[in-house]
Amino acid sequence: MPETVQLFITCLVDTFHPAIGEAMVRVLNRAGVRVEFPSEQTCCGQPAFNAGLRADARPLAEHTLRVLDGAPGAVVIPSGSCAAMLRHGYLDLFAGQPDWLARARALAERTYELCEYLVDVRGITELGACWEGTLTYHPSCHLLRGLGVDAQPRLLLGAVKGARVIELPEREDCCGFGGVFSLEHPELSAEFLDRKLANFEKTKAPTLVTADTGCLIHLQGGLRRQGRAGRVVHIAEVLARGGG
Amino acid sequence: MPPDLRARIRRSLADPNLQAALDQNARRRMEGRVAAFASLPDHAARRARAHAVKEGVVAHLDTHLERFLRAVNANGIHTHPAADAAEAVGIILGILEQQAAVKGASTPGEPLLVAKSKSMVSEEIELNHALEACGMRVVETDLGEYIVQLRGERPSHIITPAVHLQRGDVGRLFAEKLDLPYTEDIPTLTQAARKVLRRVFLDADVGISGVNFGVVDTGTLCLVTNEGNGRMVTTLPPVHIALMGIERLVPSLDDLALFLSLLPRSATGQKLSVYTSLINAPLPGQTRHLILLDNGRRALSRSPLAESLSCIRCGACLNACPVFREMGGHAYGSIYPGPIGAVISGALVHPDLACLAQASTLCGACREVCPVDIDLPALLLRVRAGDSPMPDGRKGRPGAGVPFSVRLGLGAFRHAAGRAWSFALFQRLGALFSRLYSPLHASMRLPAWTGWGFSKDLPRLAGTPFRARWRTLRQDVQGGDSDPRAAPRTRPAEPTLPPPQTLVAQFTAELSALGGHVHVLRAGNLPGRLAEFLFDRGIERVCVDEAGAALVRGVEIVPHADPDVTCGVTGALCGIAESGSLLLASGRGETLSASLLPAIHVAVLKASRLVATLAEARPLLNEHHAAMVLVSGPSRTADIEMTLTIGVHGPGELHVFLIDDS
Repeated sequence: MPETVQLFITCLVDTFHPAIGEAMVRVLNRAGVRVEFPSEQTCCGQPAFNAGLRADARPLAEHTLRVLDGAPGAVVIPSGSCAAMLRHGYLDLFAGQPDWLARARALAERTYELCEYLVDVRGITELGACWEGTLTYHPSCHLLRGLGVDAQPRLLLGAVKGARVIELPEREDCCGFGGVFSLEHPELSAEFLDRKLANFEKTKAPTLVTADTGCLIHLQGGLRRQGRAGRVVHIAEVLARGGG
Repeated sequence: MPPDLRARIRRSLADPNLQAALDQNARRRMEGRVAAFASLPDHAARRARAHAVKEGVVAHLDTHLERFLRAVNANGIHTHPAADAAEAVGIILGILEQQAAVKGASTPGEPLLVAKSKSMVSEEIELNHALEACGMRVVETDLGEYIVQLRGERPSHIITPAVHLQRGDVGRLFAEKLDLPYTEDIPTLTQAARKVLRRVFLDADVGISGVNFGVVDTGTLCLVTNEGNGRMVTTLPPVHIALMGIERLVPSLDDLALFLSLLPRSATGQKLSVYTSLINAPLPGQTRHLILLDNGRRALSRSPLAESLSCIRCGACLNACPVFREMGGHAYGSIYPGPIGAVISGALVHPDLACLAQASTLCGACREVCPVDIDLPALLLRVRAGDSPMPDGRKGRPGAGVPFSVRLGLGAFRHAAGRAWSFALFQRLGALFSRLYSPLHASMRLPAWTGWGFSKDLPRLAGTPFRARWRTLRQDVQGGDSDPRAAPRTRPAEPTLPPPQTLVAQFTAELSALGGHVHVLRAGNLPGRLAEFLFDRGIERVCVDEAGAALVRGVEIVPHADPDVTCGVTGALCGIAESGSLLLASGRGETLSASLLPAIHVAVLKASRLVATLAEARPLLNEHHAAMVLVSGPSRTADIEMTLTIGVHGPGELHVFLIDDS
């Protein structure tokens, strides 16, 4: 029997970039995994949690726990940020509520970001993907430092046939998305964005890969606004391409 | 949010000099830190231990504090707990007025002169302002602080106060205030400040310093500086007042050695700061006071932000923070800027400053570099949630600093995303709206006031969201029964250590790298070589301690604290090979002043007195000297444009005559 996982798609992929979700299902299928999608899921509550409005975050987190509690297997997420919310954020959010905290702990233990799941749990780095051209990778902060996942996406990208992966200068710098931060402090967010896009331009790569849709929307929006060349793709879209 | 925060941010961003200075600070400090930690292969374990030690101190703060106070009192230092800033200022004024009365009796009309070395606590309680209002003359003696004081500003960084300035700014300032010809030459500027401040050290009635660590077991006050001003103000004036926050405790001298291996590496990329002073008791004829400031710290220790009290004020989180790198320190509007400042300012400075926590992307660069592994992003989130303790004991307002529109939006989103059907409806309506807003393009050009539209476009919402596509999505699972393997975690390789060296070779290499000189010789040759050394430099008068007095021939020996003597000759208790450091003690001689005031310091040390590490020197630290100091190289500063300049307040030349007694 193939392994079954629960897909937590994230509100951003669901709402703005459903194609990333489709790519992710293909990638997981290719890794020998059957995907289930608990259809009651909405948003993990991270935007309100990060703003400090925990009363607004709690109902969404409780909803997410209820939706995922009964569903068997690992929960796989195409986002370092949302995975970090489920793994770390919920423990703080429910710190004073033992019942919910126990449920949050149980969920945290079976929650994985996509690259982390493929490499660490499934032991897969080679998915038979093909990509013609040069790529450079932006590690999102929550994936890199929040979850400590860095080698995994790099191994996966390194195994993509035809792709030349080059290092993004100052790769570990934040891109300036930061969720509600980019609404509250647009001036600072714009500075980080410019720096990141300038570094992307230095690589001369046409494609910037990231594993977080928040960063992706922010970076892509910056490229559009400034009329710069290049595009930003989610790592699932790269891994789903070709082969099979 | 104070409406002026965004205005201040905009001002910082529009200042190209500030931006250049901040970029330079971030780059150099981060590189220096990485290089310094490469020499500490077990730094991850040390970090974890440091975290546990501080966690223990904060969890039992009052017990530690009580034991510490007993030890400090037993050492003959007067202790003064202060509940808040006003009380601390009052206590200090009381001590100073007493001193002023003494002075007034001998030299009427002269204002009391207070020499200060860097203390963030004194900034927190706004001490200078209070003292000046009482007619006292207060002079900051750290070069960066001195520059900032002359400009009528406050420090913009907790380690590098003048990080926001460039050499031209300092040149113009000194030309105006010190009546010097304008120059951009950093050594010249440094020497000018040295000259002015040397007078201050010698004439000061009172020295005020901060404290980096208080050692609970022994009551030791530890103070680290590079320029030597910390040693000056704690050694020369007849009265020394030390200020510390009640949380700056470590249980034992062993713990102190651990923290000393982390603090300078994180702060300035040094294995040890040039001067690490260990103060146990007053020197002969000196009075010492210790002010222990609460000012919101106990409340913090009982709040969900307790972990923030583990901070050792190294400034690494400022240097790593992309927001600090854009804003600079002044724009925070708090004396504690950067990530740690955004966490503690609401509790220690002003409740309104809790909104600073919103100015973060939660990128976690701060936590990564924190030598005590403080989970700063989690603490920032707790401040945002209103966990910063308020003066009246109430909880803060959740989401302080979140604009009303965002608050409204998040509240509405909570209801929309509360159930799948309403979320789906929200998605459909959003998609429709985005097509009305931007019928021709796949992305929307939102206006700048939305925040998002300030610098970027937003994609239209998908016409068919994923949840709708899922129903028709077909799965094609391959190789269905693949075996999950054990996780092939990749760990970074441990840095390899250089092959072991002899202690003499290592000590020589380390001290030479710091700009010191080591002369290895046999015991019989010492008096001759020393005489030759002094003769070659035309030195006819020297300051000495007991060890020096026994060795020096053919020159005049003068009493200590004579500012005109250019060379001091002293012994040393031991040398530490890993950091090229000398351990000096007050003892019965004049080691501390003879090694501090002259421009050249010659130390004589037997090679058998070399130890490998600070931890091995630990038994010597326990001896009952009033004060000790670890000297690691000549006095230095990097306060102007981060440019290393040798010879600020302490000696610019350090020579160790190492006697090969193997």
